[in-house]
Amino acid sequence: MGFKSIAIATALILSSSMSTAALADYPEKRIDMIVGFAAGGGTDVMARTIGPYLEKYLGNDTSVVVKNMPGASGQIGVTAVAEARPDGYTIGTYNLPGTMARTLDRDADYDADSFTYLANVVNDPNVIVTPKNSDIDTMDKLVEAAQKRPGAVTVAMSSLGGDDHFFLQKLSDVTDADYTVVPFSGSAPARSALMGGHVTMGIINVSEVVAFRDELNVLGIASEERSSLADDIPTFKEQGVDLVNGALRGFVAPANLPDNVKAKLLDAFQKTYDDPDFQQAMRRSGNPTELALGDDFKSLNAEQLELAKRIWETHPWK
Amino acid sequence: MYGNLIDALPSVLSLGNLLAVVIGVVAGICVGALPGLSATMAISVLIPFTFGMDPLVALGMMAGIYNGAMYGGSIPAVLLRIPGTPAAVATSFDGYPMAQQGRGGYALQVAVVSSALGGIVSALVLMLLAPPLAKVTLLFGPTEIFWVAVFGMSAIVFLLGGDVLKGLISAAFGVFVSLVGADTITGAERYTFGHLELLDGINIVVLLVGLYALPPAIGLLEEVRDFDTENTGRLNTTSIWKAIPGMLKYWKTWVRSSIIGVFVGILPGAGGSMAAFLSYNEARRASKNPEEWGKGEPEGVAASETSNNADTAAALIPALTLGIPGTAVAAVMLGGLLIHGLQPGPMLFRDNPEIVFGFMWQFLFAAVLLIFLGGALATNSFAQVLRLPRPLLGAIIISLVFIGVYSINGRMFDVYLMLGFGLIGYFMDKLKFPLPPVVLGLILGGFAEQNLRLALRIGGGDWGILASSPTAKILIGMILLVVLMPLFSRLRRSRKANRVAG
Repeated sequence: MGFKSIAIATALILSSSMSTAALADYPEKRIDMIVGFAAGGGTDVMARTIGPYLEKYLGNDTSVVVKNMPGASGQIGVTAVAEARPDGYTIGTYNLPGTMARTLDRDADYDADSFTYLANVVNDPNVIVTPKNSDIDTMDKLVEAAQKRPGAVTVAMSSLGGDDHFFLQKLSDVTDADYTVVPFSGSAPARSALMGGHVTMGIINVSEVVAFRDELNVLGIASEERSSLADDIPTFKEQGVDLVNGALRGFVAPANLPDNVKAKLLDAFQKTYDDPDFQQAMRRSGNPTELALGDDFKSLNAEQLELAKRIWETHPWK
Repeated sequence: MYGNLIDALPSVLSLGNLLAVVIGVVAGICVGALPGLSATMAISVLIPFTFGMDPLVALGMMAGIYNGAMYGGSIPAVLLRIPGTPAAVATSFDGYPMAQQGRGGYALQVAVVSSALGGIVSALVLMLLAPPLAKVTLLFGPTEIFWVAVFGMSAIVFLLGGDVLKGLISAAFGVFVSLVGADTITGAERYTFGHLELLDGINIVVLLVGLYALPPAIGLLEEVRDFDTENTGRLNTTSIWKAIPGMLKYWKTWVRSSIIGVFVGILPGAGGSMAAFLSYNEARRASKNPEEWGKGEPEGVAASETSNNADTAAALIPALTLGIPGTAVAAVMLGGLLIHGLQPGPMLFRDNPEIVFGFMWQFLFAAVLLIFLGGALATNSFAQVLRLPRPLLGAIIISLVFIGVYSINGRMFDVYLMLGFGLIGYFMDKLKFPLPPVVLGLILGGFAEQNLRLALRIGGGDWGILASSPTAKILIGMILLVVLMPLFSRLRRSRKANRVAG
């Protein structure tokens, strides 16, 4: 072994130990995880479920503390994250397409560049549902009904400017038909109105339908592949309708996070996602998982912003 | 299904789970009794801590808090005319005059017995009739819910009291407050002036505390004799067990108010305050001496307190079966279920029977416990508060109110808003504007607006949709009856008077 190779080896060891030393600095204290919704909501449960796993994989006996900052459908919380110090001690939950759509339809104090995108963890695809006793129980029948008389099909959904609404816009484009939007405040009231037969169809997410399979017809799911939560629901693609859409939930930090801190966080999210216990906990709380880490998440966000912009420009909802 | 009910009993009776209910009831009474603190808030504060708890311990505490707070709210409503919770506003109508007459102890006893009975009925309904009643909930689409809201609003007519114009102005102010925030359909901002804090609308607790708690608290400070210490200080109580036989004559009100409470509970979004207002009205209408109401009629306290507790477990029927909470508290409790991986829906009853049915038992126990814990707590501890020097009591209430309002969302904005309402309430008080129409206007205004607009969207803009379903037609008939009946009887009386005169 020559001097040169020893020198390189030493340099390597030194640099690696130095970089671990730098990494080991973070986290030195507790990490605040800001949730823009009240305790007990879907996003909050996700945050509380992931917290202990992040603590485990970040090491240093750190603690991840959930801070609920509810209000303005998550905008107050996400604004607080955008304005926090980019030191890795403030991270927050992030909902798509809502967070990006709010930069269009409201005055928001943040934009797509205000964040360091860490990990998108949940991807909850949209589904089309009709009441169990409805004649419309296939996509063909739905399209036929919608095309026969414009606006005759009433659609219950959560709210305008959310994933349900964007899905409907895509559906409207693909099927070349007009639908009447009936935005209830939340998916559960929309689903109940549908079960009571007060509307023709509903757009909700697959996680919201699994407990109601006996009460509702599910016409299809807007994902590339079938969902593990309900693998008997055919995708729209299988049925020849090109529709992919859903609600995304993930985690962001303020923009300009130091590289070593970001690397450590991404690593912790990856390890958490690979942990079978975590996957099981997420399934138990009805969250369909799909990981998009770092730059993948960033481009996912750009995609969602593009979609929101396109719909906002062609069909502004307010 | 009833087999499941029995199977769930043993685990509920374990020491830890039972103790959770007891702690919950006591905590609930305290929270309800302290102006500014509400059951919604107490449960939201509790939820994060329950993440690591056994589900039945967590749920037992929540059931206890909910029942306890619904009764607890009546304590300051009776003793100080400050409703501890929105649902206790109607309790103060007759409870406070009773306290002024030195019958505050009896008012509280009527309140606790009525609360317990309402709670028991509600829990039994939840246990035995949840699935069929969930089908009733489904009958109520936006059109029908709109008519329910109108029915509730027609009750405002009766809350107007002396000056009709002032009453209507108050109601209009309440409806105006309900407009603040993001439009529920399009999300357009209304009267938010760029404040994100206003986007979700104005929390009922902020308004209630500002209007109801601040002015009397200021009153305590500015004029010592404003509150009749001579009488309210003494509660004149006998043992609750001796008082119960004398209350049996309220059985009709108990039955009627229980039914109203359960019915309002299974409708999404209305809540305990609407139940209390409606049942107060119905009880007064059925009474032989309606002119005595508002001057210290114990039956008024019974009506209001029965129905706001009858609303509790019933509100969980749509929450557990459909995921749509009947009240704000049920909404928070739903969060408590979700955090334990319990997803609402028909599957919940099949997959987790021991927890769901255990939870129902806990509601029943919580209601029964009210008599034992509520009676003793109210008369022995809270009533002693009245012996405090008035300025001290006023200062305590004001600081409690600040803490309570701040902790709803953890922000000062709500406190400033509450102070604003306090100022409005202070002048309304001095100018003799009635407060209850404001509360009803806020609760029902937004409710009516949203559902009317949803109904019209479903109908494609055709107003005919509002009378299209049988349920809607029945509701319209009921509203006409309620509005026109007093007119007819007045007409008949004046005609009779004419004939006598002629």
